[in-house]
Amino acid sequence: MLKIDNLHAQIGDTEILKGLSLELGAGEVHAIMGPNGSGKSTLASILAGREDYEVTQGSITFDGVDLLELDATERAVAGIFLAFQYPVEIPGVSNINFLRTALNSIREQREEAPLSGKDFLAKVKACAQLVELDGKLRDRSVNEGFSGGEKKRNEVFQMAMLEPKLAVLDETDSGLDIDALRIVAHGVNSMRGADRSFLVITHYQRLLDHIVPDFVHVLAGGRIVHSGGKELALELEEKGYDWIVDAQATEQA
Amino acid sequence: MNEVAAPTQHAALAARVSEACSQAGLVGEPHAEALAALEAIDYPTTRQERWRYTRVARFLEVAPSAPADLTAPPAVVGNLEALRFTFVAGQYINGDVLDEGADGCFAGPVSLALERYPERLKGWSKSDFSTREWFAALQASAPQDGVCILVPEGKSLPRPVLAHHHMPDGVHVSQPRDLIHIGNNAAAEAILWSDNAAQSAGMLNAAITASVGDGASLSLEIVQDEPGSVHHMGHHHFTQGSNSKLTLRTATACAHWLRNDLHIVQDGTHADSTFHGCYLPNGRQFVDHHTRIDHAHPDGQSNELYKGLAADKSTAVFNGKIMVHKDAQRIEAYQSNSNLLLGEQASMYSKPELEIYADDVRCSHGCTTGQFDKEALFYLRSRGMTETAAHNLLVQAFLAEVLNGFRPEIRDHVHAVFSRRLGWN
Repeated sequence: MLKIDNLHAQIGDTEILKGLSLELGAGEVHAIMGPNGSGKSTLASILAGREDYEVTQGSITFDGVDLLELDATERAVAGIFLAFQYPVEIPGVSNINFLRTALNSIREQREEAPLSGKDFLAKVKACAQLVELDGKLRDRSVNEGFSGGEKKRNEVFQMAMLEPKLAVLDETDSGLDIDALRIVAHGVNSMRGADRSFLVITHYQRLLDHIVPDFVHVLAGGRIVHSGGKELALELEEKGYDWIVDAQATEQA
Repeated sequence: MNEVAAPTQHAALAARVSEACSQAGLVGEPHAEALAALEAIDYPTTRQERWRYTRVARFLEVAPSAPADLTAPPAVVGNLEALRFTFVAGQYINGDVLDEGADGCFAGPVSLALERYPERLKGWSKSDFSTREWFAALQASAPQDGVCILVPEGKSLPRPVLAHHHMPDGVHVSQPRDLIHIGNNAAAEAILWSDNAAQSAGMLNAAITASVGDGASLSLEIVQDEPGSVHHMGHHHFTQGSNSKLTLRTATACAHWLRNDLHIVQDGTHADSTFHGCYLPNGRQFVDHHTRIDHAHPDGQSNELYKGLAADKSTAVFNGKIMVHKDAQRIEAYQSNSNLLLGEQASMYSKPELEIYADDVRCSHGCTTGQFDKEALFYLRSRGMTETAAHNLLVQAFLAEVLNGFRPEIRDHVHAVFSRRLGWN
């Protein structure tokens, strides 16, 4: 479904990704862990099409399509969703109006008929229940005055509404208390399926207690330096990243 | 910049305008003071502070003719229930005249009011602007028909008035005056709408004069939706009595070249003025809002909010003057002007002007000019919105504060015009 091959990317003159390769199959959940500054959020941003980064080498294909040729809008239409680490507040635009516009914009670009008002509202209701988002938050301006937990729940709510093929969760656990974490994880888990893949980017293992991944990768120095099963997360929690990063350095030397 | 207009040039323009207006039909007598002012006042140039960004040299070339075709245009906001009046190029076409007699409410054309109630309209053609500004003097020197709303003490209009001014195709000039008198403790709501035909050109030199009595209220919505290439000069003058309330909303939905001069005088204590406006020039359009409020008495309030967006190579101007007179203690005046620039060649000139001669007042003003928030745009696009859909949503949000104050029928119309013009539909 997603194939990243030898990806090099920089912002300004600073090279952040230095030959990252990764492959995700349909229905798989991959976790990416790594120390601060290793390039985790850069990877998320590049997948979603943020224009601040320059890809200097390598390729990303998504369902056989060259993803780097698509802009942010086209990627969303192709089925990629990024749950932001810092969701943006948009005063004056209600959450509902925002979602209706997004959903119908995607449907139009896919040459599908717009959703009827009734179907849209039914869907809103179902998806909001999934993350226990109450009516007031749905009607308020997008993320304006939301708590950290409410913002992240709103991200997962949007994800449920847009039904992506690939969801990238960028540090969705940051700023969440344990209850909010459980709600968010429940939302994500109930969306797992054979046609949907997840890339879960996190600094801590605790999210992976709730969203259990099929694979865990360690990103350090702009590359994947180690991969394993779900048990790798526990090992990292116990031993930290140094043993892998050091081993990698020794190997390279 | 060489914009010196030889006296003969603007005198010649005045003669041409006067002739075309007379041919089409004047209403009442020109005011003597206005005629004298027309002689005495210099033609505006960009060397004058009030006209610094507003070029009027090209007006000198306007050669208008009286329109031959006075067909009524299609009705605007058809779903709105109102007393409707239609004017084409300063001539009254038709309307739902309301006449409750000499002691009652009147809504109809100025021409009819002059005929039936000349004593109620004493000094009607004079406005503060007409002795201070050349174009206002020009208007008052050859005045044409507009709506007249008279609400005597303690009465209120049964329905809002909607006056629709239209300019037909061709190069014409129109100098309507709308006149509103709200007596003490009386109330009225009105909509003043100007639009024009796609092939219209020339000049609309229009005056609105209103007085709001003690304890009275006036709610006025001005919609300027002018797709042709008419040059529009607006002279909007309001006087308020004690404890009166004025709510004025101006939407410049579309304009080729437009300047609104707005002046509100609080001529009594505890007066309350709200004046909001929005504008959105694109292409090479020019929109200029010059506003002034005089707090001449104590304990008044004013709330001014203008928001706009300039796209492409257009220019927007905002100048907001707040004059607090010596005796106007304890007034509260609030002014805000926010702008978005869309396109590297769009220009915005924004200037607050506060003159405060009282020592116990609260005045605040703020002015911002910026571009779309890149982070917000990325967020919207990452959810599948096209760039235009994202722009549309952000502009809608930006203008909501102003647009939501209009009645829904008008808000929706103005938003639709904005969306269509910038290709956001």
